[in-house]
Amino acid sequence: MTTQTPTTEATQTAPLLMKVRGMSMSYGEGAQENKIIENLDLDVEFGQFISIVGPSGVGKTTLLRCLSGLLRPKAGTIEVSGTQISGPHPDLAVVFQDYSRSLMPWMTTRENVAFPLQGKGMGKTERNNLADENLAAVGLAGQGDKFPWEMSGGMQQRVAIARALAYNAKVLLMDEPFASVDAQTRFDLEDLVLDLQHKLGVTILLVTHDIDEALYLADKVVVIAEKPATVVDEIITDFGDTRDQLATKADPRFAEARARILVRLRKD
Amino acid sequence: MKESTISPGLLTVQRVVAIGVLFGIWQLIIASGTMPSMLPGVTQIFAGIGETIVSPLFWEALGKTLLAALTGWVLASVIGVILGLTIGSVRFLDRSSNILIDFGRSFPVLALMPVVIMLLGSNSIMEIVVVGLSCLWPVLVQTIYGARRQESAVADTVAVFRIPVMLRFRRVLLPSAMPFIATGVRISASIAILVAVGVEVISQAPGIGRQITLMQQAQRWDMAFAYLFFAGLVGWGIAALLQLGENRLLKWKRQNDD
Repeated sequence: MTTQTPTTEATQTAPLLMKVRGMSMSYGEGAQENKIIENLDLDVEFGQFISIVGPSGVGKTTLLRCLSGLLRPKAGTIEVSGTQISGPHPDLAVVFQDYSRSLMPWMTTRENVAFPLQGKGMGKTERNNLADENLAAVGLAGQGDKFPWEMSGGMQQRVAIARALAYNAKVLLMDEPFASVDAQTRFDLEDLVLDLQHKLGVTILLVTHDIDEALYLADKVVVIAEKPATVVDEIITDFGDTRDQLATKADPRFAEARARILVRLRKD
Repeated sequence: MKESTISPGLLTVQRVVAIGVLFGIWQLIIASGTMPSMLPGVTQIFAGIGETIVSPLFWEALGKTLLAALTGWVLASVIGVILGLTIGSVRFLDRSSNILIDFGRSFPVLALMPVVIMLLGSNSIMEIVVVGLSCLWPVLVQTIYGARRQESAVADTVAVFRIPVMLRFRRVLLPSAMPFIATGVRISASIAILVAVGVEVISQAPGIGRQITLMQQAQRWDMAFAYLFFAGLVGWGIAALLQLGENRLLKWKRQNDD
């Protein structure tokens, strides 16, 4: 919650973990230029959970690819911990929507989680221990020897979350991470992510088209819409640290916020 | 694993029957007298096989052929995989080498043999080179296919987690292309034996192929066929071994069969 962020004397000067200014992205050149995102600003504070919500096709995945350094924006700056990024950054980890493809099928779940650590040059015992720890954190203790394809979709996504956690990045970027699992699994995974965020204090930036999901999880909901996409609204939710799938969603403020977002998204 | 619905026992019976039918047809053709009289009958071939198996000359020849075939094949596989992964994963290399590779794979390497003999002489090095050149193409082409087919989600993952190039090569590119590589390596294994024997027949480098020609010249057609039989047996044995290894190595590939 916002109260957990390091509060200095003046809240305006609280150090930002991520700062995006005037970011624009387009494909093609000249007359064929197709503008996807224009002049987008975004502030991410330490420990915050931010949801970026927008309709399908608005350019959410493009936005997340820019933020993760996979795509280079045409204009604007993206700063992480005060330095501008020009590609993938060790402070950023991504949980992809397509978990079944982003996990390597020839690696066990332990190897999948440990793989980025091997890339960092970590020794075998150390990285395997870390992998097991993080698998346990996402509720997959003792499942390290299984292959991803021996697991359900929800479990595979847990492995992907464990991999991002083990990488020890400051920001977790999530691209519609629960879009392709069933409703109950989705609720379980949402609560797992909330729980992990509170326990480990990671900062999470989640992109989704699901307004309820965005509101339920976030401290701040950023609404993007229009073409090219830009930020049309920001809502600070205030549902507290402990949330409940039934109670939180029944909160009148929840309904109010949802209505506000719907109106925003309907306008274009 | 359970792709066939018939029991293994029945399958064995069917296979034995197929071999029996082949022998029958062979014997019938011999008996009909339409073939030149030097062609040996089934019993003569079996006698030849028996005679061959106890001859030290045969084992020496087999050893030479196998050594040349395996060396050429292993060299071609290693070079083909490294080259193929590099070409297949770098778009610029892939596009620019396209024509060269299509040309190379349809080039009859055996026709190049006189040149290689001239350069290296009629020895086992020459044999290894010709075998290697023949085996290189199936491995190379298959590996390029495999490396090209990289999933974009995998590429994104590798980029986001900043996996170093060599680690990516070894732990991502190689295993993801492995099903294709395995096919190429298996195809070229049978090519290796065929070409090794062929080279020996043509160049008279020592080995099974040379023995076959020597036996033909000595009018020992039964022995010549016995040698041919063993050349086939070795090829089959290697292919079977590789299939076994492939099934183990590509355990993760079973996801597609479920």
